[in-house]
Amino acid sequence: MRPRPRKIATERRLFETEARPHLDTLYSTALRLTRSPVDAEDLVQDTLVRAYRFYDRFEAGTNFKAWLLRIQMNAFVNRYRRSIRERQVFDGPMAAPVGEGVMSRATMRGLTDPVGDAQRQIIAREINRAFEQLSEDARAMVLLADVEELSYKEIAEVMGCPIGTVMSRLHRARKQLQVSLQQHAVQLGIIEADEDSEEDPVSLEAFRSRKAVKS
Amino acid sequence: MSCKLVRRHLGALVDGELDPATQIEFERHLEACSACQEHLTFERAFRKQTRNSLAGPQAPEHLWGRALHRLDEIDEAKAQHASLIEIRPMRWKQTGLIAAAAAALLIIGGVLRLPDGDGYTSAGMLQDVLDVHTKALPSDVEAEAPQEVVRYFQGKTPFPVKPAQFEEPSMKFMGARYIMVGSRPAAALYYNHGGHRVTLLVFQSPELMQNARRTHVGGHELYYHDVGGNVVTIRQHGGVNYAFFGDLDRPVLFRLAANARVAD
Repeated sequence: MRPRPRKIATERRLFETEARPHLDTLYSTALRLTRSPVDAEDLVQDTLVRAYRFYDRFEAGTNFKAWLLRIQMNAFVNRYRRSIRERQVFDGPMAAPVGEGVMSRATMRGLTDPVGDAQRQIIAREINRAFEQLSEDARAMVLLADVEELSYKEIAEVMGCPIGTVMSRLHRARKQLQVSLQQHAVQLGIIEADEDSEEDPVSLEAFRSRKAVKS
Repeated sequence: MSCKLVRRHLGALVDGELDPATQIEFERHLEACSACQEHLTFERAFRKQTRNSLAGPQAPEHLWGRALHRLDEIDEAKAQHASLIEIRPMRWKQTGLIAAAAAALLIIGGVLRLPDGDGYTSAGMLQDVLDVHTKALPSDVEAEAPQEVVRYFQGKTPFPVKPAQFEEPSMKFMGARYIMVGSRPAAALYYNHGGHRVTLLVFQSPELMQNARRTHVGGHELYYHDVGGNVVTIRQHGGVNYAFFGDLDRPVLFRLAANARVAD
């Protein structure tokens, strides 16, 4: 008896239709994570192979892009195990707290309303440079939230962490990006050193529990 | 509500991830606080700049084609698997050998993701190795170019990897793949021995040698484990373990492992 080529072919067609639109996303994310075009291609290929193998486990109606990114993140972590160590450092006691006052108002204004294309290009270049200095984990958070615009729930699934953790990790990653951007801008003399004092972060949970006591 | 608290969660506000009640309180504060408003404007603008700056680049044109080629291989393996399942009951009575052959065809060096840590005993590891014999992962590098294999693993594994040489002409190298065994990088080398798949796993794992039994075959020292009717045969060379497994008869597997030239 012949195998069941029709069933395989149908599934294959469906998969291709669904996956193809996300190829650029997978590749650019992979490139940002691995920093190497060769590794990025390998990673994307691995991701698509794994996704195809486990295609029957994809829950229809959920975000296919997020599902692909989750597979890619797992493949990435498996391949580049040291990233886990890096993540532990990032999450552990060595992770420096990031305050709120990392940007002076002048800096914020400068970045909020760039004058002309030239300045926009400089900012874009500087953001890229600052991004490259982030840890793997921070890069992943920024990519998933700010570039791919996944929800916190989806990010939690991709990164394999609780939703509550997403908010703090993302906050830290964004602030690190801004700190790096600011420091370099100061070095270049684009902006002046920031005199604002850092404040201790306050958690939303603390605020909520205070509210609960009051009411 | 303090400015500190609001600024700490402006990101979540822009993301639309605050619960509605909190969001209303935040908005009330923002209406009255121009400093926080400025932070919010910046947060929004910076988000947009981040997205614009980091978006792209596009995937190279050949990438999709490359991926499809790999999916073709999976489809072929699936079709083969399906036909195997359907054929087996018909021939079962004709010859007992077919069952063994069919089982051997399904032997795979698959996803070897094994638990880490102190409880990672050789027994658990071996069981895991055999338990994952159900999935055929495609090769990262193909059979045609053994020197490609050497190059492929450079920088990936902390030891050089090259396809082992076998005296038996029936032993054919099919391809190789990079995988993790526990937390250790490993090379899975796929061979075919007269229609039977054989996997050679190359990695560094002292755990693998725990409780291993020792024997000599053809002048070579050989270690092995019996695991639920299967045997995993191990050679050691230069601090690297070479684990052979497949559903071959024990003497055949022993002979293959003993005579293999695993390193120069």
